[in-house]
Amino acid sequence: MRRLLAALLLLAALGGGLGALVGVRADLAEFLPTGRSPASTFLFRELQSGAATTLLLAGMEGAEPAELARVSRETAAGLRASGLFDFVGDGTVTLGEGEQALLFRYRYLLSPETRPEAFTAAALRPKLEALLEGLRSAASPLLARFGFTDPTGAFLGLAHAFLAESRLEVRDGAWFAAEGPPRALLIARARSGAGLDAEAQRQAIAAFRAAFEAAKPGPAQLLLSGPGVFASEAAASIRADVRLITLASGGLLAAFLLWRYRSLMLLGLVAVPLAAGTIAGFAVTALVFGGKVQGIAFGFGMTMLGVTVDYPILLASLRRPEEGLAAAARRIWPTLRLAAASAATGLAAMLGSGFPGLVQLGVFAGTGLLVAAATTRWVLPWLLPEARIAARPLPGPIRAGLGMLRGRRRLAGGVVLGAGLLLLALGGPAWQRDLAALSPVPREAQALDGELRRQLGAPDVRVLFALGPGTEAEVLAASERLAEAVAPLLGQALQGIDLPSRYLPSEATQRTRQAALPAAGMAQAALAEAMAGLPFRPTAFAPFLAALGESRALAPLTAAALAAEAPTLAARLSPLLFRRGEAAQGVALAQGVRDPAALAAMAQRLGDPRILFIDVKAETEGLLDAYSRATLLWALAGAGLVLGLLALGLGGVRRTFRVAGPIGGALLVTLAALTALGEALTLFHLASLLLLAGLAIDYSLFLAGDATDDTMGAILNCAVSTLLTFGLLAFCGTPVLHGIGLTVSIGVASAFLLACAMAPRPLLHA
Amino acid sequence: MRWALLLLLALAMPARAEDPALLRLMQGFAAQPRSEARFTEDKVIPELDLPLPSQGLLRWQAPDRLEKHTTSPIDEMLRVEGGRLLYERPDRGIRREFGLEEQPEMRALVEAVRGTLAGDLATLHRYYEIGFTPEGAGTPWRMVLSPLSIRLRAAVQRITVSGRGAQVRSIETEGGGGVTRMQISP
Repeated sequence: MRRLLAALLLLAALGGGLGALVGVRADLAEFLPTGRSPASTFLFRELQSGAATTLLLAGMEGAEPAELARVSRETAAGLRASGLFDFVGDGTVTLGEGEQALLFRYRYLLSPETRPEAFTAAALRPKLEALLEGLRSAASPLLARFGFTDPTGAFLGLAHAFLAESRLEVRDGAWFAAEGPPRALLIARARSGAGLDAEAQRQAIAAFRAAFEAAKPGPAQLLLSGPGVFASEAAASIRADVRLITLASGGLLAAFLLWRYRSLMLLGLVAVPLAAGTIAGFAVTALVFGGKVQGIAFGFGMTMLGVTVDYPILLASLRRPEEGLAAAARRIWPTLRLAAASAATGLAAMLGSGFPGLVQLGVFAGTGLLVAAATTRWVLPWLLPEARIAARPLPGPIRAGLGMLRGRRRLAGGVVLGAGLLLLALGGPAWQRDLAALSPVPREAQALDGELRRQLGAPDVRVLFALGPGTEAEVLAASERLAEAVAPLLGQALQGIDLPSRYLPSEATQRTRQAALPAAGMAQAALAEAMAGLPFRPTAFAPFLAALGESRALAPLTAAALAAEAPTLAARLSPLLFRRGEAAQGVALAQGVRDPAALAAMAQRLGDPRILFIDVKAETEGLLDAYSRATLLWALAGAGLVLGLLALGLGGVRRTFRVAGPIGGALLVTLAALTALGEALTLFHLASLLLLAGLAIDYSLFLAGDATDDTMGAILNCAVSTLLTFGLLAFCGTPVLHGIGLTVSIGVASAFLLACAMAPRPLLHA
Repeated sequence: MRWALLLLLALAMPARAEDPALLRLMQGFAAQPRSEARFTEDKVIPELDLPLPSQGLLRWQAPDRLEKHTTSPIDEMLRVEGGRLLYERPDRGIRREFGLEEQPEMRALVEAVRGTLAGDLATLHRYYEIGFTPEGAGTPWRMVLSPLSIRLRAAVQRITVSGRGAQVRSIETEGGGGVTRMQISP
């Protein structure tokens, strides 16, 4: 008894020390795959650490529109003042004075209107007439300020194009969602070169919440979304979810075990292998994966190790009355060893999947499983050499029910056959091809994100083009080539495309435009001809003529100069043009894509080494398919290996199939049930099936021998314990947890019942 | 002791000794919650040979709504309410909304007229130095507003508001070498 307490204390200290030493990574970067083709590699890198991660989307609701607008404006002002954000969009976006000056200075180099024919008398005449008309209107102060220096309207055209937002409704200086109850919208991009680490994301989110609070929101509520929110807040909520479920299921499990065994000692006994397995799994995972354990893999791994409570329960329950714990451990060890080894072998399929989160999970759970089994064999008997724990006899009706079930192999065969037929009728299991379902982010959070994105007109990017890598000039030139190639498809295959060259033309283009500006004498002659008969004074446009001369002498604008002098414009450009190490990299986002195939064909025809077409949906689906195939293949290989192991351990093909029968049957029944419930299978369902196979091996192995009622009771206790642990998970909002919970619960129930039905009938005298 | 009393008195005095006639005029404006008037306007722009005329309607509604509806030669609407400015030009389908706080120059120009009509001397003082000439037998009162902000002074050098009783009759805005003269008839 004293040894048990000491062991528990030691494990707690070890666990605490390890937890403090080895960090748990909260971000999703290492959970998701890295991609296998250039397109998917680019895509995932961008998703995980690219500029996309700096985006925060916000909705504010729950108050009068005017009040929401005020809160939104003040929050936006607070965000701008915090200095943590590159860009804050809230319906009041304007260009600062310095930015206006920069745009004005570079207007003829930046404007797509700069062509030689734009400066002829014929082209200038209508511009001058429009200017005169504008001077009559209320806009005359603006036109009087710019019109005589820039009669072609290059500057105002640029400013308008750069500030043109999506067709968002502006009320009282705030963006509002077009449909539904009043909701003010805000979008912000946290300051960073490319991508944010978890800490910076947390800071940005905290700053956002602080700005909102400082705006005295009253009853208004803030809805915040974006990759950063997912990574930090959603991950935290998942952890809270897991913690709550762990506590609840732990409580239920403890109550159940106390009821069955009436022994606190048993609880201690159960805790030791579980803790030892968790610590070992954590340590090995940290060692293998460079000192860090992914938080989500850790959470799921802990849950999966819940199955190891089986081992001490089996040990305690299968002990014969006259035996000591050590003798019992020695007696059941061959079977236990076989069960643990087979289960761990099954998990090896996760290692082969190549999906980073799953690989970590496999290492964690596999290690934990083996260590827990070893602990049960060698450590538990030493901790409690004189333990005398026995389960209470099963309640009569349950015992009778199980007795009836025993030996009904035809029934079992019928059920499995029925499940197989059902699965066939349903067209086989449905595979999940949506990456979102694999994301550990809760469904409501994903739904909110989708809604805010739609309302903000932030495109749900389906097709994009990677530009580069190369020098800035090369990437921008590629962007211009793409713009040209896409132009004929606009309005048909796609609605629009956001290109870096829209904000910053390549150096070559800027130089071409400089060359298109007329020499002083020519410009003057054209202007004089255009002015004929209009009430302008002869010298009215002298500043324009001077500006043409200055523009010809300017050094072309670069991204660095833009960032230094025009933060708002640079913020527009930065997600589309950024640095990756030494090289520049660009992205073009296609909007309203109707015909991805036409775009793919266009990119194919271009054959441009610096333009890479990426169909996000097809790419992720292909990737997931590849991962699923790999996992399935490895699972089959694992199954073969497990069968081999069993054959070796049991010494006979017949016995092997008697043990393997319920396992295969349980898998089939589970698949059929999941499909009938409308669950689309993900990698995590597959992983759960592997885990389930491991559990079913326990049941099958222990029940396959000459099982007594006591054995039956012990296995039932194991199955109920597992159901208590995993059943609650099925009620989780996180897709992955839900999937694991549902799969294991259905599987354990069917595995136990099938194993019972396959067990030989008890001898009459027993 | 007496010094201290004097000091207290000095502190209690208003910071500016206002012209009682200006105060009376402002009270007169403050007493009118709404008004409507026709205007004709002439813009003189130095780069143009001839002035650009226009006309329309002015509407005022206390506390802060001011509307300038130009009917000729083009139909357009400029409306300020609170901190927001709305510009509408129906014939071109243009409708733009701005925040006055983003456009300090515009705000000052708006407050010159709105502050006067509201009888809000404090607001006028926030943006302008005021030179006031009371109404005489045959001459209207005159209020010359010189912008306090250097930035605004670059665009607008002086706004001269004049009128009779609690009615504005003309507003003259000088800036950038040009001048805009607005005549208002009730």
